[in-house]
Amino acid sequence: MSEAGLHQPFAKSTLPQEPLTDRPSRRGDRLPPMPHEWIDRDRIIDFTFEGTHFWGYAGDTISSALWASGQRILGRSFKYHRPRGILSFANHDINALMQAGEKLNLRADTTPLEPGMTLAAVNTIEGVHNDRASLLNAFSPFLPVGFYYKAFHHKRLFPFWERLIRRISGLGQLVPTTPRIRTAKRYDFCDVLVIGAGVSGLSAALAAAAAGADVALVDENAQAGGSGSYQLGGELALAETTHQLVQQVMHHPRIRLFTQTVAAGYYTDHWVPLVDRDHLTKMRAKAVIIASGAYEQPAVFRNNDLPGVLLASAAQRLIYRYAVKPMHRAVVLVANTDGYRAAMDLLTQGISIQAVVELRSDPIANPWIAQLRSHHVPIYSGYCIYEAKTNPAKDGVCSAVICPIDARGIPQTGFSQAIACDGILMSVGWAPTANLLYQAGAKLRFEPSLQQFVPDTLPPGIFACGRVNGVYEFAEKIHDGQNVGVTAFEYLNNPLPSNSCPLSRLPSFTPPPLHPAPFIPHPKGKNFVDFDEDLQYKDFIHAAQEGFDNIELLKRYTTVGMGPSQGKHSNMNALQILAQITGKSPGEVGTTTARPFFHPVLLSHLAGRSFTPKRQTPLHSRHGALGAKFMLAGQWQRPEYYARSHSSRIDCIQREAIAVRQRVGMIDVGTLGKLEIRGPQAAEFLERVYTGRYANLKGGMSRYALMLDETGVVIDDGVIARLGLDHFYFTTTTSGAAQIHRELTRWNTIWQLDCGIVNLTGARSAINLAGPHARHVLAQLTDCDLSSAAFPYLAVREAIVAQIPVLLLRVGFVGEWGYEIHVAAESTPALWDALMVAGAAHDITPFGVEAQRLLRLEKGHLIVGQDTDGLTTPREAGLAWAVKSDKPFFIGQRSLEILAKQPIQQKLVGFRLDPAFQATPPQECHLVIEQDEIVGRVTSVAYSPTLKQFIGLAYVAPEMATPNHRFNIRLSNGEIVTAIVTSTPFYDPDNQRQKETIAHPSQVAA
Amino acid sequence: MNTPLRLSPIHDLLQSLPGNWQAINGMPVLTVSPPTTSPLILTDRSCLTRFGVKGANAADWLASQGLTIPDRPNSWCPLPNPSAGIIARLGLSEFLIEDSLSSRLAPQLAMACQTPPAKVYPVLRQDLAIALSGPATHELLQQTCNLNFRALILADRPILLTSLIGVVVTLLPGEHNGHPFYRLWCDGTFGNYLWQTLVAIATEFGGTITNVEL
Amino acid sequence: MKLIPCPINGLRPVGEFVYGGEVRPMPDPNAVDDDTWASYVFNRTGAPGVKQEWWCHSPSNTWFIVERNTLTDEIMQSYLYDEMRTI
Repeated sequence: MSEAGLHQPFAKSTLPQEPLTDRPSRRGDRLPPMPHEWIDRDRIIDFTFEGTHFWGYAGDTISSALWASGQRILGRSFKYHRPRGILSFANHDINALMQAGEKLNLRADTTPLEPGMTLAAVNTIEGVHNDRASLLNAFSPFLPVGFYYKAFHHKRLFPFWERLIRRISGLGQLVPTTPRIRTAKRYDFCDVLVIGAGVSGLSAALAAAAAGADVALVDENAQAGGSGSYQLGGELALAETTHQLVQQVMHHPRIRLFTQTVAAGYYTDHWVPLVDRDHLTKMRAKAVIIASGAYEQPAVFRNNDLPGVLLASAAQRLIYRYAVKPMHRAVVLVANTDGYRAAMDLLTQGISIQAVVELRSDPIANPWIAQLRSHHVPIYSGYCIYEAKTNPAKDGVCSAVICPIDARGIPQTGFSQAIACDGILMSVGWAPTANLLYQAGAKLRFEPSLQQFVPDTLPPGIFACGRVNGVYEFAEKIHDGQNVGVTAFEYLNNPLPSNSCPLSRLPSFTPPPLHPAPFIPHPKGKNFVDFDEDLQYKDFIHAAQEGFDNIELLKRYTTVGMGPSQGKHSNMNALQILAQITGKSPGEVGTTTARPFFHPVLLSHLAGRSFTPKRQTPLHSRHGALGAKFMLAGQWQRPEYYARSHSSRIDCIQREAIAVRQRVGMIDVGTLGKLEIRGPQAAEFLERVYTGRYANLKGGMSRYALMLDETGVVIDDGVIARLGLDHFYFTTTTSGAAQIHRELTRWNTIWQLDCGIVNLTGARSAINLAGPHARHVLAQLTDCDLSSAAFPYLAVREAIVAQIPVLLLRVGFVGEWGYEIHVAAESTPALWDALMVAGAAHDITPFGVEAQRLLRLEKGHLIVGQDTDGLTTPREAGLAWAVKSDKPFFIGQRSLEILAKQPIQQKLVGFRLDPAFQATPPQECHLVIEQDEIVGRVTSVAYSPTLKQFIGLAYVAPEMATPNHRFNIRLSNGEIVTAIVTSTPFYDPDNQRQKETIAHPSQVAA
Repeated sequence: MNTPLRLSPIHDLLQSLPGNWQAINGMPVLTVSPPTTSPLILTDRSCLTRFGVKGANAADWLASQGLTIPDRPNSWCPLPNPSAGIIARLGLSEFLIEDSLSSRLAPQLAMACQTPPAKVYPVLRQDLAIALSGPATHELLQQTCNLNFRALILADRPILLTSLIGVVVTLLPGEHNGHPFYRLWCDGTFGNYLWQTLVAIATEFGGTITNVEL
Repeated sequence: MKLIPCPINGLRPVGEFVYGGEVRPMPDPNAVDDDTWASYVFNRTGAPGVKQEWWCHSPSNTWFIVERNTLTDEIMQSYLYDEMRTI
């Protein structure tokens, strides 16, 4: 269980393998086996880089295998295309960014080696060795900071610049045929989440678990241990202690260890996405301990970006994890104790140290100084590296030019000397990996004694330990972690009030781990601060000179920290430089905002399975079998129309509409909102939420229902049927159902009327059977008396149809004699099938949403949300008749009273086009123009096969709303179409179709 | 041919599966024997009869019909013997009664509630009712629902009203033969989407679809 | 995802809820002038502070009140409407 997330075993390479002893190791850069090394020397992996064959071991990263083979240039920089090698080796820089087929922007330093990988560096023209774009390096004087804001403004030349820049910049080549992958996300839970499995994190996890917490411990590295496994100063015992802690964690029943897993951000209420190679887990914790450590910061001197100039911790990782010799003859630049440890780590592996260059003039004594002296390593105190010299092959360092610095930090170049070397280590300081602390809302303050930002106030449930908390010594880190683990467990049982303070920090006996100003100016520049963005020291001076002298402006003008590493190796230095320039303290300068994600997250992981609910009526498969073309109405899938071979969409729709007018059609209206209300105050409740009167609605009858919001705007309509004295059944629009049920529930929570509402939208389905033959079809299936006398228009009856209990409502939405049949969902298919059989002799025609919209338009019936908008009141939509203002109260009433004092701005009218009209018709939302002013718009328009002309609804100015008035509609291309105001209904204005006289099929004209 | 008067919301999706069809409570039911070692089993239980009721007096009315009411909101208890059905209290004052294969209490309650007393409101139930069972059940839930199921205390007989793959569901967690056994109810109109999505996930686990009543 | 404490269903992710706006008692429509009514309908108090808000747990259709500090997004407590108190 606790081994979840550790490396999967690699397949053995299929290429014939030379015996290990015969394999050339190229300059012998692999060291003898290290205890607990991460590589498996029994498994060789072959791969190519830039067309050349290389090999490494299972457990190597791409960079460690290349470095072990003597390959020094791993990539080219973003702007100047300078050769680059390993810098941080911790995914804090992107010197080594590579592409392997479809996989682009691989971070070679931390990406595991896989058999058969075919790799190339990104961002080169003709390869990493001969990158022709390195010409830009020579043009660098013409590419000062912020030049892109200034240089390409020329309107005519900009397209040329754009093409050129796109070709020579950019990281990685997008492969359009890359398959779209989704990986399943999952949720997970724990009591305490510990981020970072270095010695403080391991100790915190063990302490919390011992107390009884369920702990999840995550680390982005392939194995746990952190710096405890490699910042040794030659003392292997420290690594052994670390290893023991890791073993304890892996075998603890209450700790789950996730390696190769990144805590990508912090979200409210301790929600942390854990991202591994295969998927994303959304972890909810009850407390979070951040033990994420610190970023090592580079020193800034000329050519500090040459391959072979490494951060000290990078060299230590190379040695202890991958048994790779980082260099042969080293110069070590130090400003803290860690640097001396790193020098010892090199020395104990047989690497010769040509010099230790100590930035401080008066370094505090430490045990390693004596050891180094006993090995005859010269130590230059109060010195800096002024510049690194490029070797003749232009792929590395050949010497370090050192010189003293005075009290103000100015290099005394008159006393410089060159020291031959093939590698330089920089160990000048650390910045805390505080990203997730900031995201969690922690406040940090600058602690001068540490020269580091440290947690000052932590939100409840958030804890910090180890180097991110300012604790650097090995034993103190363990102690800090243990304390925090116990405190976190106590917090679980007794959540503290807000503004809890972090634990008091144990004093560190060493001087500040970060040197305040490891920046050495040079007239020829190329002393880099941000390696991702190729930003030099003078860029910051210039930016400040141009006025961008606060941290937010400096960031955006220089783009420091805006590259793929997001400032991990550069933000602290930038901050210190600005502090120097402005004379402010780093605390006053401040930091920019840390945002998720901590490392890039694959889109496949973010996409997940993408659950998009779809809602279907019980008749869905029957529609499909009939050739339905489905459309989405909100979450519902509805038949738009039923496709027939050799018929266009319009023809199908019109055929369906004609069938309803002439014979009988059937439409699935199961998506309607359906609500039931019972109780002595049911009628009163309905009268409060709708504009109409329902207390006097007779049992067995229905009535139109209009709903407004508090501002008096139309929000929904439907039909209310009375089934009993205290029992009503009512419908809403499809899209309004869920929200209306919710809002009605809220109103009654407040009013506490004696009634109860049940939402039957999904439990019942409904079919609308409509047309002059509808009654005849239905009569075959039921004993219910369907005569006009017994079952008048707008009546409602409970009946048995085809042996199924149903509710029948005589409605007139499409303007023909018809029944809306409501039925329990499980019986709907049986009802539909029975109706199809009974209607076969009448050529019963299923019709879809589009035909229904056409039919209702012929009757001038509006659709809320289409023919009304967010401001439409009843008067404007011709619905004043549905508003019973003399009721004591209904929602929207008071607002309507206020609105009644003003004239309306527009009125909904019917219109038709000239019957001879042949050109392009208007569409919904085309504007009504009167004397160059917009006075309205079209809301519905369609060609009516029954009336043989285009008809529609539109808003026009009230004075235009008289029948036969002509008005102008402007099409998208500017053409004007003349429309004629027409009173509605267009079809059957006297509602003859609902009268007995034409209900018998023998009386209907064919 | 006469279409059965009761069809499961996912009836058409099950057509392509092998097995024998029989009528249970008037609904065609597909019966398949599941391999005993399947990591995840999905079962359609929509054929069982069920009844819903809510309101301030619903608890008293149910008690007057001889039922023992779950005492806490969001909990359940078994129906009186010999039935193995359940009565679930959904939230504060709504109830779901579901029969087992051998009981017919729900239709009797529906009859008795046709003219309900004051503050008793019958709720028509037309759910897709399914069961998720097998050792991989929690893994499936972890990929579809943001609740910590492993932390539940089954002895408390909890009921959960929540959202799973974007659909409102009622869950009754349980155990069977040492493995999780979860009953799930959702609005039948989401049934096809829910079933198809869970089947796709279950297939990744090597799961099976059955209609056997457990 | 933020957690909201439903009085009936317990602590749940905010995705299970629908926000219903600040609790604003309706004045008696017959007793206020037009301006006061318009202010009730359209205006909201924008100043941050601890507010009583309507929230609905969608799966169970439970409306309840949350007291939340709209500046810090901290939830102080939640309760059903019939346990409403003045703050």
